[in-house]
Amino acid sequence: MISDRVKSNLKDTFVDSLLPKVGLVLLIAILVMALFAPLLATHDPTRTGHFHETGAPYPPMGYSYETQVAQDGEFGEVSVESNSTHVLGTNNIGQDVYSRFLYGARVSVIVGLSSTLLAMLIGVPIGLVAGYYGGRVDDGLMRVADTMLAFPALVLALALIGVFGESPVHVPDPIVMAGFADGMPETIPIPGTVTIVGALVIWVWFARVARGEALSLRNEEYVKAAQSFGTGNAQILRQHILPNSLTPIIVLATIQVAVIILLEASLAYLGFSGTTLSWGYEIERGQDVLRTRPWVSIVPGIGIMLAVISVNLLGDWLRDALDPNIDQSKRGA
Amino acid sequence: MSIAKFLLRRFLQGIFVIWGVITIMFGLRAVSPGDPASLMAGEGATAEIIEQVRVQEGLDQPLYLQYIEYLQGMMVGDFGFSWQARREVSAIVIGRIPATVELAVAATVVAIAIAIPLGVISGTRRNQPADYSATMFSLLGISTPNFWLGLMLILVFAVWFGIPYPSVGTSSLPLSGVSVPYPSSVGLGMVDLPTGRRDVSFGVAVSALVFEQSLSEMGTWLRHITLPAITLGTYFTALITRLTRSGMIDELGKPYVTSVEAKGLPSVLIRYKHVLRNTLIPIITVLGLQIGTLMGGAVITETVFNWPGLGLRLIDALHDRDWPVMQGIVIFIAIAFIIINIIVDALYASLDPQVSDE
Repeated sequence: MISDRVKSNLKDTFVDSLLPKVGLVLLIAILVMALFAPLLATHDPTRTGHFHETGAPYPPMGYSYETQVAQDGEFGEVSVESNSTHVLGTNNIGQDVYSRFLYGARVSVIVGLSSTLLAMLIGVPIGLVAGYYGGRVDDGLMRVADTMLAFPALVLALALIGVFGESPVHVPDPIVMAGFADGMPETIPIPGTVTIVGALVIWVWFARVARGEALSLRNEEYVKAAQSFGTGNAQILRQHILPNSLTPIIVLATIQVAVIILLEASLAYLGFSGTTLSWGYEIERGQDVLRTRPWVSIVPGIGIMLAVISVNLLGDWLRDALDPNIDQSKRGA
Repeated sequence: MSIAKFLLRRFLQGIFVIWGVITIMFGLRAVSPGDPASLMAGEGATAEIIEQVRVQEGLDQPLYLQYIEYLQGMMVGDFGFSWQARREVSAIVIGRIPATVELAVAATVVAIAIAIPLGVISGTRRNQPADYSATMFSLLGISTPNFWLGLMLILVFAVWFGIPYPSVGTSSLPLSGVSVPYPSSVGLGMVDLPTGRRDVSFGVAVSALVFEQSLSEMGTWLRHITLPAITLGTYFTALITRLTRSGMIDELGKPYVTSVEAKGLPSVLIRYKHVLRNTLIPIITVLGLQIGTLMGGAVITETVFNWPGLGLRLIDALHDRDWPVMQGIVIFIAIAFIIINIIVDALYASLDPQVSDE
């Protein structure tokens, strides 16, 4: 399904240019952060500082963060401890910014991958069937696709979350369960609704690409030959159409991971993610202390940017190397 | 097929899609958990009042009757009644349109003004430092979440450089784990966060300029809109830079460029007049397709800067679980998107007659 020419093309474009290498290095860094977050973290990311341990759910009326800095001694939250152990400082409620950064990578990676996978599982079969059979099935799908695409992605996601609510799924952390990282949270909250909603928002793109591929492949000689031998349609779809349409689907999937990471961050920023352990949510939280503790917002934002850049760079590389229709002179554009 | 026929077909498709959009939104409301009548009656309403509301609003009717009624209302522009604001949804939506349009247009202007020259320079000086910086810039622009960019702009320009900026108190109340930005009037301001809140609308600024020869309103408007417009426009700046660059590279390799060069036309004229014009067609198409991204971005940008447009109202409605307002805004945005796309298609068809033959 991937020819030698394509393989050598992939290799050549990777060796020749700098950007895919940067993308790969960044991606590996983010995956390592996400995988080994409990081992790399210095603090429990959910443990709040002194201020919260007084039992106050949130700062009382009239409490201002300006005074907090002035009276840091009284609130005793950061100044002493932060210089020694909190590498990147603490946020408004005394949680360790560095540890939350690592765990934020985890949530982004899990949501990005699972949502894209789900969208593929929904979109690709529908698109292949529509393109292969054509006719009414195809017309129906295209109208549904048109309708879905009439909604801006974020707006549709917001509408869906408005319906289904936002519920985090608490996934047990294998590293902590195995006893390698004591003191770290045993479960991580994954924004479950966001994962499903993300897939519902982007599946149409997979369906459209798969349809286009099936539409052109169904007229190929080998498909015609298989049909004349009496091979069933399901088998033709599985054995001939699917493997041959995978390349553009993989390229699309790479780019969609970046789309989902940005979507999750945006929803979390707007307060609709359902989990507090997310880069987007952390940026929103830092907004209140932007004047006094800008790093609370700066750090997770850099995380989102690096994750998206890495995926985009690799996506560009795959697209240029795998798609023979694209003029090589445009590479890197 | 003539252009008129092509447009008629696009128009009919558009009507169909709008119907689909309305149906999806109605369906979402129907499957949404929670009883609309008790939400509508407000907190602490007695069972009797809830029942009264249910009958009054026709919520006791079978679903298909409600659906027909809903469609009928939509046809005459009746988007329903807000449960929270106790106002017509259509009035709420109309009141919020100007701010969003101002922001979207300003962002597009910023994007085009920066991206086209940048793309042309990058495309004509390939593999030179200028090209590398432009490529780097567009990569960063496409990958930066715009809410973060907005905050960083506030941080750099207002907080660090201390550029006097209209300041609005925002505060966050932990509300079932969700933070809601409130205007300062709520009186819970914890920190003065400078934002680009729109005090003066473009119309007011223009009329002050025309009728009172006063520039100050215009200045206020510009000061308010600059950071939000940059925030919303950056993604598009990056995108258009990429498109212009690759379009220029394609066009510059074509024979007609060599022939006008041989005629001795100045290279600036060639680049900006002949080559760029041919590059514009794909740019317009992509921009049309990206209007949805622009609208999604507007939701975020308006939230960051407390900009009183449709997006901010949508977020408020979601937090309040104010379904009619949410539905109204989402449907309005989708319809606007569909109409803009039809207009883009029309533009495209008139620029390039081959399109309508497809």
